[in-house]
Amino acid sequence: MLWPERMRRLLIAAPKSEIETIIKELYRHKVYHIEDFVPESESGGLSIGHPLPEASSAAETLIKVRAIENACGIDPARFEARMKIPASRVREIIRTDLSAIQKEVEDLVNSRSKLETLKKEHEQRARELEPFTAIPLDLEFYRGYRGFTVFAGHISHDVKIDVPHEKYFSDKVTGNMIVVVVQNEHQEEVERILLNAGFQALAIPEENGAPTDRLQAHLDEIRRIDDEIAAINQKLAEIREKHAELLVACDELLTADVERAEAPLRFATTEETFISEGWVPDDRADEIREALERVTNGRIYIEELEIEDDSRVPVEYDNPSFATPTQLLVDLYARPRYSELDPTLLVTIVFPIFFGLILGDVGYGAILLAMSLGLRKFLKGEGMRSLLKVLSYASVSSIVFGVLYSEFLGYSLPWEALIFSRHLNIGGHATAHGPQVVELLLLAIWIGILHVTLGRVLGMANARRLYHGKHATKAVIANAGWIGVMWGILLMIWSLFPIPLMPNLTGLPVLFMGLNTSAVVGAILILMGVIGIAQENILEIVELPTIISHVLSYARLVAVGLSSVAIAMMVNYLAIGMIIEPQLEAITPIGVIAIIFGVLLFVLGHLLNTALGILGGGLHSLRLHYVEFFTKFYKGGGIKYKPFGKRSKFTEE
Amino acid sequence: MVDFGTAEVTLEMVQASQLGMKAFSAALAVGLTGLASAIAEMTIGSAAVGATAENRDVFGLVLLLTVIPETIVIFGLVVALLLMF
Repeated sequence: MLWPERMRRLLIAAPKSEIETIIKELYRHKVYHIEDFVPESESGGLSIGHPLPEASSAAETLIKVRAIENACGIDPARFEARMKIPASRVREIIRTDLSAIQKEVEDLVNSRSKLETLKKEHEQRARELEPFTAIPLDLEFYRGYRGFTVFAGHISHDVKIDVPHEKYFSDKVTGNMIVVVVQNEHQEEVERILLNAGFQALAIPEENGAPTDRLQAHLDEIRRIDDEIAAINQKLAEIREKHAELLVACDELLTADVERAEAPLRFATTEETFISEGWVPDDRADEIREALERVTNGRIYIEELEIEDDSRVPVEYDNPSFATPTQLLVDLYARPRYSELDPTLLVTIVFPIFFGLILGDVGYGAILLAMSLGLRKFLKGEGMRSLLKVLSYASVSSIVFGVLYSEFLGYSLPWEALIFSRHLNIGGHATAHGPQVVELLLLAIWIGILHVTLGRVLGMANARRLYHGKHATKAVIANAGWIGVMWGILLMIWSLFPIPLMPNLTGLPVLFMGLNTSAVVGAILILMGVIGIAQENILEIVELPTIISHVLSYARLVAVGLSSVAIAMMVNYLAIGMIIEPQLEAITPIGVIAIIFGVLLFVLGHLLNTALGILGGGLHSLRLHYVEFFTKFYKGGGIKYKPFGKRSKFTEE
Repeated sequence: MVDFGTAEVTLEMVQASQLGMKAFSAALAVGLTGLASAIAEMTIGSAAVGATAENRDVFGLVLLLTVIPETIVIFGLVVALLLMF
């Protein structure tokens, strides 16, 4: 439970004639993690195997299926099949119907992209024509002169031209529009006048007729093309509706075919035999061994090898089912190494407690619980599911702590806080003794001390498994040293100052130099601790201040929580105390609007605070685990266990 | 002689002013550390967005990295809370 699943390393050797049977059997069981064969110079005549003969044709067909899926917008990962289709039928369909479907889809997609190009052309033309619609001139009048020059384009303002000319100006279009026709001999002079007014020439569209009519014609054409594209999309949607189940089944079957056919690329082969190394979970090893021997009629050699290097072992979690969603959070940091402690279970228990300490509010907890249960219907995918599960644990803990803190959306419940009160004095709603901030902070510090100490103790356990010989002893002593320094500092502080919620050691008999027993013990602990840390790595000494900063960091459990309480109480005070309540005394029409505004403010404020609560509660709890807890013992960096094979979702043998 | 007048300072005034200074210091503690966190998060945040654009899988990790400097403002908040209560 606290360690990853035990693995066994198997070596399989068999004649090449059995390769297909063996691959098929391994694929079906889905327990064998293949270790890829890497040829080296001294591999002794071993070389990488060749894919099975059907590999290329299966891959080709798979590309076809994927192309169709892509065009129709089918995503096998999100598809929910009503029933499984027998594999034999799927193969039959791949042989008979697939190319027809592919042809149809391909034609539709081709004509759609043609239409889209056409549409872009028309849009371009329409854009070019638009400025010309402001001028009442047909397009053929703009060109074809020998003795005249036509200027047409945007200009900042109307200009006065002294030479004989014909001019149209309009400020109805953006950037204004001017058209000037002059005799060729005045061209330069007019051009200068125009350029001084910021003239930007426009190309004259190669069309005839009134610009407005032409523009309309293009717009009509665009609309017609849009209709056609919509019709094609409709047809694609129909295909999706009709064939989606089949297509995902084909995809699955062919993917499996390709994976199986390409498996020999990961094996070592000689002329007549092949060899494969891989990993199998301890409890499944015998089963797979027997199965392989049965299908090959004993024409196979299986040997169990020693595990030499733990960094090469694939790691699979071995947690009780309620803890499996939290694996996501641990994976986000790093998968544990094989011989390392798996912290998932601890995170599963402690993460919700931290979350509840921060966001301890019955109202917010209930909202989050409803959200995590409700969203489960809409958010598919394993990662999302796990995240929602984690959130639901956290929200239950939030409700529990809400009861203890006596909080409901910032209001107090009918009872006094059962642990420490977090009710701030906002809007004159202070409870009997106000917020017990100091007590809460000390509670958080206690949690920090214990959590960090636990981390170091786990560090000692881990060091013994991860390292060997001298190094292991050194690492264990160093971890003990860290604990010693931390508790030494605590003893010294306790001997000097009486602190509520912590042992008061100021009254112990003074030994010498004004130091009492606990201070002396503390000083000895610190000294020995520092020596213990330095004997592993002298540079670690510079990390000593982190003892204090890491423990103090747990103060965020209270600080972030109090800020969320403050926001909730402020929203209540603004929305209800300042807006709604005064209006309820004498209802006026304006008062009703104010009340509606107040309600809106209330809802929006609490929505914002819920979102901040997830971020604050979730991220800060997670951060305490990653930065303050994991750094004490956790290395991570294990290889993910990826068994060869696939559970079929859409097909059945 | 010009009479400048004399101002009386009562105990209440001193207490009120002390309370004000306390609130002011608390505000400084939160405000300045907030600024510091913001500056630190600015750099990390922009790098995080860049990294996420390259590879969507790192989103969770960089979100976490982004909140790491929040410790600064939390210490500020703790100081402010201790000042006020």
